[in-house]
Amino acid sequence: MHKGKQGIIIRKEAFELEMGQPVIEFDGVTKTYQKGMHALNDVNIKIHKGEFVFVVGRSGAGKSTFIKLIMREETPNTGDIYVNGYNLSKMRRRDIPYFRRSMGIVFQDFRLIPTMNVFDNVAFSLRVVGASNREIKRRVAQVLSMVDLGSRARAYPRELSGGEQQRVGLARALINNPALIIADEPTGNVDPNMSYEIVELLTEINRRGTTVVMVTHEHQLVRDFNRRVIMLENGRVVADNLEGAME
Amino acid sequence: MRSFRYLVKEGFKNVWSNRLMSVASIGVLVAVMVLIGAAILLSVNVDMMLNTLQEQNVVMVYTVDKATEAQAREAFSKVQKISNVASAEFVTQEDGVKSLINDMGDQYKELFEFVDDGDQKGSWLPFGMRVSFKDLKKFDETISEIKKIENIDHVNDQRELTAKIVNIRNLVNSAGLIIIGLLFITALVIIANTIKITMHTRKLEISIMKAVGATNHFIRTPFVIEGILLGLISAIISTLATYGLYTVVANKVTSMSVSVVPFMSVLWIVIGVFLVLGVITGCIGSIISIGKYLRKEGSEFRAF
Ligand SMILES: Nc1ncnc2c1ncn2[C@@H]1O[C@H](COP(=O)(O)OP(=O)(O)O)[C@@H](O)[C@H]1O
Ligand SMILES: [Mg+2]
Repeated sequence: MHKGKQGIIIRKEAFELEMGQPVIEFDGVTKTYQKGMHALNDVNIKIHKGEFVFVVGRSGAGKSTFIKLIMREETPNTGDIYVNGYNLSKMRRRDIPYFRRSMGIVFQDFRLIPTMNVFDNVAFSLRVVGASNREIKRRVAQVLSMVDLGSRARAYPRELSGGEQQRVGLARALINNPALIIADEPTGNVDPNMSYEIVELLTEINRRGTTVVMVTHEHQLVRDFNRRVIMLENGRVVADNLEGAME
Repeated sequence: MRSFRYLVKEGFKNVWSNRLMSVASIGVLVAVMVLIGAAILLSVNVDMMLNTLQEQNVVMVYTVDKATEAQAREAFSKVQKISNVASAEFVTQEDGVKSLINDMGDQYKELFEFVDDGDQKGSWLPFGMRVSFKDLKKFDETISEIKKIENIDHVNDQRELTAKIVNIRNLVNSAGLIIIGLLFITALVIIANTIKITMHTRKLEISIMKAVGATNHFIRTPFVIEGILLGLISAIISTLATYGLYTVVANKVTSMSVSVVPFMSVLWIVIGVFLVLGVITGCIGSIISIGKYLRKEGSEFRAF
């Protein structure tokens, strides 16, 4: 272990990504929940540092499974997955929390803790890593103003609109300065105007060097933000428009 | 550890934000503890009563008929020296006659007037000793030790009564222990289930915490603190409740001129047992109930 930029303890491997080595690599990955149907079928994908990737596909195509495999919530039946320099097949259970700290995760249903206010929800990720109170105050204020919620720190999730809740979710994902952000339909429960703002925020974060993987089924968004698009269908990658990433 | 203070605070907050469950847990724990307290107090009182009975439990030792007073007194001093003898009292022949008359009733008094005593009243009687024992479990050994002494003829023991006392005491003690054990397990199961119910509503919260990289230890600590806190609160309430109930019962019983052990003399035992019990059930209960959720990696949580 060593201290990262923010005085945050992250496992050393996370920093040992060599230049050109993918942030995310799927190598012949197949995932089956029950007998028969493949949620993912022989998926081979490389996502490099600094990329912004949309993952699209119909409902049931395997997009959420893709995200769950990245965050090691699920394990593949066959194939290997590498994320942030970790080999997920070889990872021990007790390393999972440290691995998760190397990424920020945004969910469609926000996943805010209802009994905590905005400040505490965002601060939680810092408390987990043992940051000091001063550090927590400073960082949370900074990230909340970044998502334009500086004035709502004392509000509880139920008092916020969908768009505001998702910005809190985004703030929480950003608080540890992760090298990677994964988002599963972050605009799914947010009105269209706010959707654009959230994707704008993600692109802004991406501009500062963070790799972003965002699942969506909103085609208009994908068209407007001309980026790399990975398309899934019945668990297979049917299109991977790398050109988008070149801009 | 820096985050420990935060985790303790979260534990306290949990007790409050799940106050319905907290009250239910405390209610169950208090009920169990008061029962355990009753078992302890009952056993302590039975013990005291048996002790009193035991102290009153004397055996009569008699010398051989032909023994002189000097020989009898020598035997007496040997009896006194036996380690398990608590007290011994020499009974002269004259006293013997008196207690005999006393036992048989005054109408026989004249009968004894006709008995030829010679110059010493009751000289036809053996000398006696009233002996009480320290430890009734060594009753048989002590009796045979006494019988070995020169000029001792026989011992008028109340073997059955003694055995009964020892039996009752053993019964009360082991029944008490079994009851306490069963209640303890009951408390553990109920507390684990109570916390499990709150855990069920909090599993989303746990999955979120895991998603942002909280270790199991970090997630578990507030729950354990919560459990311990519930245990401590229950222990305090139980002590007061036990005290109140005991005072009421003791007053009733004392008015029937039966003496009871004062609560204050067992206060620390009761508090100690309650505290240990509360902390252990709270601790183990919360660890048991959260364990299942900590083993999951998130997706199994989801109902959406
Ligand atoms: N936990 C699960 N258990 C069983 N089947 C699942 C589970 N999660 C997803 N699936 C199935 O796997 C397939 C892909 O699901 P998912 O990855 O959620 O798709 P998407 O997010 O693209 O809608 C679907 O057929 C879905 O029914
Ligand atoms: Mg999905």
